[in-house]
Amino acid sequence: MVLQARNLTVSMQSGSTRIDVLRDVSFSLAPRKVLGLVGESGAGKSMIGRVISRNLPKQFSIGSGNLSFAGQDLVGSSTESLSALLGDRIAFVPQEPLTALNPLMTVARQFVEHLDRIGVARDHQPQRMAQALREVRLLDPDRVLASYPFQLSGGMCQRVLIAIAFASHPALVVADEPTTALDVSTQATIVQIMRGLQRDHDTALLFITHDLRLAAHVCDEILVLYAGEVVEHGPARAIATAPQHPYTRALQAANPSPSGPLTRLPSLPDNMPGLAGFASLQGCRFAPRCPAAEPACHTQVPALVQTVPGHAVRCPLTDRQQAAAKPALLQTARADSASEVILEARNLSKYFEATRNWFGRREGPGLHAVRPMDFVVRAGEFVGVVGESGSGKSTLARLLMGLETPTSGQISLDGTLLDADTAETRRLRLDTLQMVFQDPQSALNPRRSVEELVTQVMESRMTRLPPEERRQRAKDLLNETGLSPELIDRYPSQLSGGQKQRVNIARALCVTPRLLIADEIVSGLDVSVQAQILNLLLDLKAQREIGLVFISHDLSVVRYLCASMIVMRHGKVVEQGPTEQIFADPQHAYTKALFAAAPPADLDHPWPPEQASLS
Amino acid sequence: MIVLSERSRAAWGRCLSSPRVLAGACLIVILLLVALFAPWLAPHDPQDQDLLSTLLPPFWMAEADPAYPLGTDTLGRCILSRLIYGTRIALYVAIVAASGAMLVGTVLAVVSGYFGGTIDWLISRAVDIWMAFPPVVLALILLVGLGAGVNKVILAIVLIDWTRFCRVIRSEVLVTMTLDYIPAAKILGFSHARIMLKEILPAVTPLIITVLSIEMGIAVIVEAIMSFVGMSVESNVAAWGVMIADARTTMHQAPWSVVFPIGAIFLTVLAFNLLGDGLRRALDGRLVQRNG
Amino acid sequence: MAFLALQLLIRRALLAVPILLCVSALVFLVLRLLPADPIAMSVPPGATQADYDQLRISFGLDRSLPEQYLIWLGKLLQGDFGGSIFFRRPVMELVAKALPATLELVGLGFLLGIVIGISGGLAMFMTRGRWGEQVLDGSTTVMMAIPEFLWAILLILFLGVVLPLFPFIGRLAPDLTLPVPLTGFLILDSALSLRVDLLASVLAHMALPAFALAIGIAPLLMRVLRSSLLETIHEDYVTQARLRGVSESRIVIRHAFPNAALPTLSLIGVQGGFMFGGTVLVEMIFAYPGLGNLMIDAVRNHDLPVIQAVALIYCVLVLGINAVVDVVYLAVNPRLRLKGRPA
Repeated sequence: MVLQARNLTVSMQSGSTRIDVLRDVSFSLAPRKVLGLVGESGAGKSMIGRVISRNLPKQFSIGSGNLSFAGQDLVGSSTESLSALLGDRIAFVPQEPLTALNPLMTVARQFVEHLDRIGVARDHQPQRMAQALREVRLLDPDRVLASYPFQLSGGMCQRVLIAIAFASHPALVVADEPTTALDVSTQATIVQIMRGLQRDHDTALLFITHDLRLAAHVCDEILVLYAGEVVEHGPARAIATAPQHPYTRALQAANPSPSGPLTRLPSLPDNMPGLAGFASLQGCRFAPRCPAAEPACHTQVPALVQTVPGHAVRCPLTDRQQAAAKPALLQTARADSASEVILEARNLSKYFEATRNWFGRREGPGLHAVRPMDFVVRAGEFVGVVGESGSGKSTLARLLMGLETPTSGQISLDGTLLDADTAETRRLRLDTLQMVFQDPQSALNPRRSVEELVTQVMESRMTRLPPEERRQRAKDLLNETGLSPELIDRYPSQLSGGQKQRVNIARALCVTPRLLIADEIVSGLDVSVQAQILNLLLDLKAQREIGLVFISHDLSVVRYLCASMIVMRHGKVVEQGPTEQIFADPQHAYTKALFAAAPPADLDHPWPPEQASLS
Repeated sequence: MIVLSERSRAAWGRCLSSPRVLAGACLIVILLLVALFAPWLAPHDPQDQDLLSTLLPPFWMAEADPAYPLGTDTLGRCILSRLIYGTRIALYVAIVAASGAMLVGTVLAVVSGYFGGTIDWLISRAVDIWMAFPPVVLALILLVGLGAGVNKVILAIVLIDWTRFCRVIRSEVLVTMTLDYIPAAKILGFSHARIMLKEILPAVTPLIITVLSIEMGIAVIVEAIMSFVGMSVESNVAAWGVMIADARTTMHQAPWSVVFPIGAIFLTVLAFNLLGDGLRRALDGRLVQRNG
Repeated sequence: MAFLALQLLIRRALLAVPILLCVSALVFLVLRLLPADPIAMSVPPGATQADYDQLRISFGLDRSLPEQYLIWLGKLLQGDFGGSIFFRRPVMELVAKALPATLELVGLGFLLGIVIGISGGLAMFMTRGRWGEQVLDGSTTVMMAIPEFLWAILLILFLGVVLPLFPFIGRLAPDLTLPVPLTGFLILDSALSLRVDLLASVLAHMALPAFALAIGIAPLLMRVLRSSLLETIHEDYVTQARLRGVSESRIVIRHAFPNAALPTLSLIGVQGGFMFGGTVLVEMIFAYPGLGNLMIDAVRNHDLPVIQAVALIYCVLVLGINAVVDVVYLAVNPRLRLKGRPA
């Protein structure tokens, strides 16, 4: 075995209490195999990589159990013998490639430093580097070697880091969310390169991710973690197609599928507690959110039991769960094309001038953030805008909200042209259109309470409402967005990510707008919370006839919500039309590439494709 | 009733448990009390000359006179009394000048950072021009133009050190401007003035308090420099800078007499620096996170 | 690289023109607010109204303000700073004598400050979490609570008067004279004259004032370097280097320090500017015949032409030191060097 964990427990000292942030974890990873660690943020999946490199945060320590690499104990060994292994026999691929290379050193100098460290003779180094870079499909190695990290894209940096990681032919590579920070279209390439190298070099791979579907395609075996515990462990295919633990099932079902019939996503209540909350979970740590929990679940810690050889589940009630009813087919996401037009954009574009220098002169060329585009949104219609970073989709949102003045084109709301910035047009925009921002952490003023936040718009009115009325309105909004009224006096720092995003939505609903603009509002959330928010949007549509412009990089999510969609790249609309039609028969090469980049729900469909035409 | 957010309560807690903040605040309170009750605390009138007992040593030395605990200067004036009265001038300048600089600098910083564009360009260029002067040189020039005097010194400090607030706070405003709650407030129909007052100003207030505290220390130093070179108070008034200038001439005969006013300046500046430094460490979220 | 540095210096020089114009206009305007009459102070006793008027006219003080400014500016462009009212000598001559003295002192103080600042900052970082850091941190607090001019007095008191180790008046022992004053930079002149006793005397005279100036900038440098080292040590690329098994000392030297030095470097530029301000009082206290002393004399005697000239020269020096720091920054930061040039 390359890597073997036996009842590994990692604890955090918090005041006088010890909290097990990783409890009783056992697994073994054979040479040439890929083991996936899957879980939501805070589940403890990165902790194992940190135990290997002895890079645990302060106050964290290994409580019991052991972890060994090729028979050598990693927990008790000396620092010297461990650092002899690191970089040589065990290598790491990081989550944020752009910041993982020293910005003041060229790629060559950092590569040389590593080759020196693993004992490659100086005269062999140029050839070794060029070869390694070609293996990660960087076809002009000399240019890459001469570059500084900031001159390379995130995808290129990640390939450099992969090349460095595999340079010593390590026995084990630990990759912690290696594609999360990158654009969707590079994901397939990175995965393909890593799997290719892993096979060629006989390396074992520990693949850490939050994406169960991705793990199912990449890994041989999967370990599903919830709140620091292994809830299910088995062959990748079995876990992805027939999950047994209620949490794994929820995780699998919460992710909208890129194909097949659309059903309403079943969503779990609440969210996984933070580390400090682990202490209060007495029995099964999943019990408070489990749809099938029984009184005993809250008091007794269930054991990890093999149901089939090689497949273990930490839940005694797996049979009971099978009976759960199949969710109903989703009808509401379709649009009614006869409805009146709320928003109409004609020839809308935005060009950013270059910044001014000291003398007030403009330096360098500007940026065409949005090239002229047309679209309409009807009452109750959900329109998806899909694009990667730099596609101009966020600028589009800012244009619609009046936060940027368009360089050309017009926006009409309810048939009224917003041609000038007058009190009336501002009023009209405020009453018709509201926006939900991507990151609630940044969109909610930390110094305002929930009540002040959701009713913030009332402060901008000339006439002041009596305080009781404002409080009542806040309670109504919390109720409508599925938040407990007890939260009304809390501050954002006291809310979970999902709760913050609900407050963010509630605030936009306060003026009863007819159209919401939502900019990547679920991208920062875990899958189970994402499903809650998506369903909330569908409910709002049913209750309020509200329209939505939904900006996202995630095709499956757009398919789940929106009847029509727009695909943008570099500020340009490359494809536009009904969602079903685009999914069935994409026309533009870029749209096709986007589809190919996302792992399909069907495991029989090999992914990533052997020779992807992606770059 | 004012309900504090968990965040601000935690910040207050950190401030009050910081030894730097506590030490600085205590020292400042003591200095304020000394300044307020100077006529009751001082054993002599600071102007009274006793030409029969000049250059008396402090109490621990053999020839000391118990009536003059810290000794006397060349004109036989009581050093302790002059130190106590000097506190009044130092704190007066510190409080008024620093507040004035804060007011000017903060307003310009918020306006500059919020509106950007031409206004920002103009204000930033003005700061650049100010920064080309060493502050002491600018202060001397201003005092030549305005004439000497304590209030002129205060005016000069405001005219010079608004840039310190402007630079530091403007960049913090720019950081705040990248947060989405600013455009969110715009979308919710907030006016520019309301956004600046209700959304931006509260976010930069911790920094303003920190810089204010440091600036008070700087004002004490500038006043001391100016009275040292004779551009501030009249030469017979008890100010620490004047005392240093007087004592410097008798350094060979009476080395202690120069140490006391330097010690007074040191304690005052130390108090403001400790307070400012402690507040910065307690209120800076980034620093707090890093230290766990 | 050399081309980019040159380009940067030219840009800086162009930038300096509007700044200096504004600065000179500002100084000019402020000084004309002057309530006292500088001519009245400098006329000999018993002078007649006619003598007074003639003096006024000779200094151009009878003309309108914009006229006076333009005349002054025009002469300035020909290298003429006018004549000193108090010293009755060309300002140019006074400045030419004082400038090398100040540059020499600031150069030494700057060097000393950077050495103390960087080694202190590294020491604070290396001893983090132990008592060594506490001691150093406490000493920065003390150093920062005492301004340079008080350090100057304390140094004179303890190392000049109580323990007479160092001289503290002027640039050279009164019984020594330089055989050939070539450059005005006494370190250089005494070295060129191959006289060890001269060089020793010059350095001994500069020791205390340079040290007082160095204390003015060192503690802030220490603190900033320490905190940016603490910041960089948590950066992803440092973690990643550790995960490659790079040794801890190599991580500090090759990865953390160069990155942490960047903010310290830009601070050095700002502090360099402040140091010129510090020389004013320090030179006066040490009776060191530099620009600062000249400035104080001019201020006390309302010698407007001298004040204007010295103020302008201070600004040129500050802008100059900023430009030098910018060039160094350009040399060490590839991001600036390669801006807008993607690979």
